[in-house]
Amino acid sequence: MASQAASSAFNGNMKKALAGLKRINLDGLRWRVFDAKGQVLGRLASQISTVIQGKDKPTYAPYRDDGDMCIVLNAKDVHVTGKKMTDKFYRWHTGYIGHLKERSLKDQMAKDPTEVIRKAVLRMLPRNKLRDDRDLKLRIFPDSEHPFGDRPLEAYVMPPRRVREMQPRARRAMIRAQKKAEQQEQGGNDKRKGKKREVEAELT
Amino acid sequence: MNKKKIFKLAKGFRGRAKNCIRIARERVEKALQYSYRDRRNKKRDMRSLWIQRINAGTRQHGVNYGNFMHGLMKENIQLNRKVLSEISMHEPYSFKALVDISRDAFPGNKNVVHPPRKVDISALNV
Repeated sequence: MASQAASSAFNGNMKKALAGLKRINLDGLRWRVFDAKGQVLGRLASQISTVIQGKDKPTYAPYRDDGDMCIVLNAKDVHVTGKKMTDKFYRWHTGYIGHLKERSLKDQMAKDPTEVIRKAVLRMLPRNKLRDDRDLKLRIFPDSEHPFGDRPLEAYVMPPRRVREMQPRARRAMIRAQKKAEQQEQGGNDKRKGKKREVEAELT
Repeated sequence: MNKKKIFKLAKGFRGRAKNCIRIARERVEKALQYSYRDRRNKKRDMRSLWIQRINAGTRQHGVNYGNFMHGLMKENIQLNRKVLSEISMHEPYSFKALVDISRDAFPGNKNVVHPPRKVDISALNV
């Protein structure tokens, strides 16, 4: 019941979600679910590409496509580090002279957040004849609803990640920003100036 | 070589290379060069494929290929990669035993990769 309600909740994308399922040959394949919420974009895409190629199975063969079906949820909540949200550009050339178009990550997420993950994964796959078939196995949804509720799904546990310790300058900037935010709530101009003087004394 | 031999070797080639002697001769020479080179490449490729398969098999148990082989070398197990890849494909329990031997021999090996996954159907359906 719930799955029926969920599946009819996005009727517009139903065709795209189920597109080409008939073309995928074997169903001895598992259905793996990735939750992209809070994951870093590239690291997630790297794991997805390993699973899609079938490289985590000992029966891997490079000439045939044996990867599992991958469903990615919460694509709009994927993180990027640094200033990539505004500074990472997707560029493409239309073929006409001078028409190099570009679009930033922020605009792409506003337009179609699934494309971000799809591009990242596709560019990590080997460029051979199996690439398009592997593309068919990847289904991405911007939020956590999907029409595959009746299949045997398996969650994928991401490997533990060693987050790099912040560089000292970035950490100081973060601490300063935090303290500024706290003091703005309290509301005091004099206190802010005093803080800057303290920080300068610390640096010199 | 006379033409008959060339055409015999040129079976299955594309376009004029299977029918016209001048082109077929070039392509057949190239094909023989490739086959000479690839008889040597095949040994490399097969070994690389075995290593990929062993890697996949051991990562399912939480150990990666490098640590696994190090553990086996320490225990003086002299199974080669071909046999190990066959074991990992067809004999999963024996392979798990080998992975455990390697893990005991080399105690840096705890959970290098993620622990085995749990089936979580209900949590993700809306």
